[in-house]
Amino acid sequence: MPFIKSKLTQEAAPQASGASQIAALSSPDVDTRWRAARALGGNQEAVAALATALAGERVPRVRQAIITALVRTGDDASVAALLPYLRSQDAGQRSAAIEALQELPEGILPFMTSLLSDSDSDVRLLAAELVRNFPAVHATRLLCGLLEQEQHANVCAAAVDVLAEIGTPEAFPALHACAERFAGTPFLSFAVSIAIARISDAKG
Amino acid sequence: MTRAQGHRPGGIHVSQEDVRRLCEFVYRRTGMWFADNKRYYVDRRLAERIAATGADSFLAYFSLLRSDANHEIQHLVNAFTVNETYFYREEHQLRCMTSDLLPSIVHGKKAGEPIRIWSIPCATGEEPYSIAIWLMENWSEVDRYNIEIVGSDIDTRALEAATIGIYGERALNRLPPSVIGRYFQPAGVDAYRIDPGLTNSIQFTRANLVDVEDMRRYRDFDIAFCRNVLIYFDDTSRRSAAESLYDCLCPGGYICLGHSETMSRISPLFRVCRFSDAIVYQRPEHADDGR
Repeated sequence: MPFIKSKLTQEAAPQASGASQIAALSSPDVDTRWRAARALGGNQEAVAALATALAGERVPRVRQAIITALVRTGDDASVAALLPYLRSQDAGQRSAAIEALQELPEGILPFMTSLLSDSDSDVRLLAAELVRNFPAVHATRLLCGLLEQEQHANVCAAAVDVLAEIGTPEAFPALHACAERFAGTPFLSFAVSIAIARISDAKG
Repeated sequence: MTRAQGHRPGGIHVSQEDVRRLCEFVYRRTGMWFADNKRYYVDRRLAERIAATGADSFLAYFSLLRSDANHEIQHLVNAFTVNETYFYREEHQLRCMTSDLLPSIVHGKKAGEPIRIWSIPCATGEEPYSIAIWLMENWSEVDRYNIEIVGSDIDTRALEAATIGIYGERALNRLPPSVIGRYFQPAGVDAYRIDPGLTNSIQFTRANLVDVEDMRRYRDFDIAFCRNVLIYFDDTSRRSAAESLYDCLCPGGYICLGHSETMSRISPLFRVCRFSDAIVYQRPEHADDGR
């Protein structure tokens, strides 16, 4: 037979210490930074260093590894390290932040009230999207709070879209009020009617 | 229908909160996430382990688990994994391996350098043995190269079965009778033993795809078959597994996923390669470290 048994029996070389891995995040060598980021996932003591590295990192695969490491850690500090990228001018960075934060629904919950009332309408719009993975009760409460105050039609539309998918009937008053407030914006009234129909169907 | 608040796997009351704790434990260890709609599946496995350990309450069992008494963590992981498979499953990918992947791989090989193929998860061995048999049957250059095939799985019970290499008739359904005749011997009623030459040629190892440290010993593979496992993971574990697989492949190495899986939705690390028989993913020859 042409097959040879693999010699894959030896253990991998011992992993470098957390401190060495943190130092390696600023290595000029891309593979060294990549390996360090991968090794630091789940290490709470490395979150600050990962956040600093993410801010300066330009190589996409290393950025991805840093983000994965932060999500694997998933504590408040990791969430706080990812939140600034919701404001990034780079659409790729915004998407990566949204995807990562959506994987941490419990972690972002304490930040949601502040995000949904942010002065930047783009951030409020993305925050509405973050709610999509929340339990229905929390999602409905948060998005109704947003709809009651929101002046920007596109932000309301984002919230209505999420409510259509996961909202509960408790959202009906806020949805009706939103449709009335934006009576001159036909697409939003239409979106509200769809959302109410879907929530009613789901309930029925 | 309203879901009951408590179930009685193994005759022991287990609350939803207990199940949630157990599922979180399994998730942290394996990356597999069992949502509420998998409650029946979880209950059955839990009942099995409660009965096997003789625990008299969920708390007693969970305490055994957390202290890893008698390797209970591995037993639980074994109970939660799915090992149902058969020979020549997704044959089009095996065809792709010999018609497209290997010609491209050997083109870049130095004299004497082995070709390394990895099956993860390999379950009870059907996949790595299928790869070996397919190569013997369908690749005319098979004798010109040294070929290493490694089968890895998180389930140690499945690995033991793979090493023994005895299969039921159902697992052999897709194999032509002539192939069965060449590589298997009857081993009792509806059972066949694979050629010992093959069992002795393939290295079986325990590996956990979502454990970064565990994955560090696997490097320099030319092809990885990683089929129908990422579907059990949540997004974070999938991405972490994709990053590990990237590290485990040689530059230019290929990864074959299951037919319902796509790497493009998991990670941008790999290049999509469309061949006539299959879509596979390639670690770029040169890292795309563009800024």
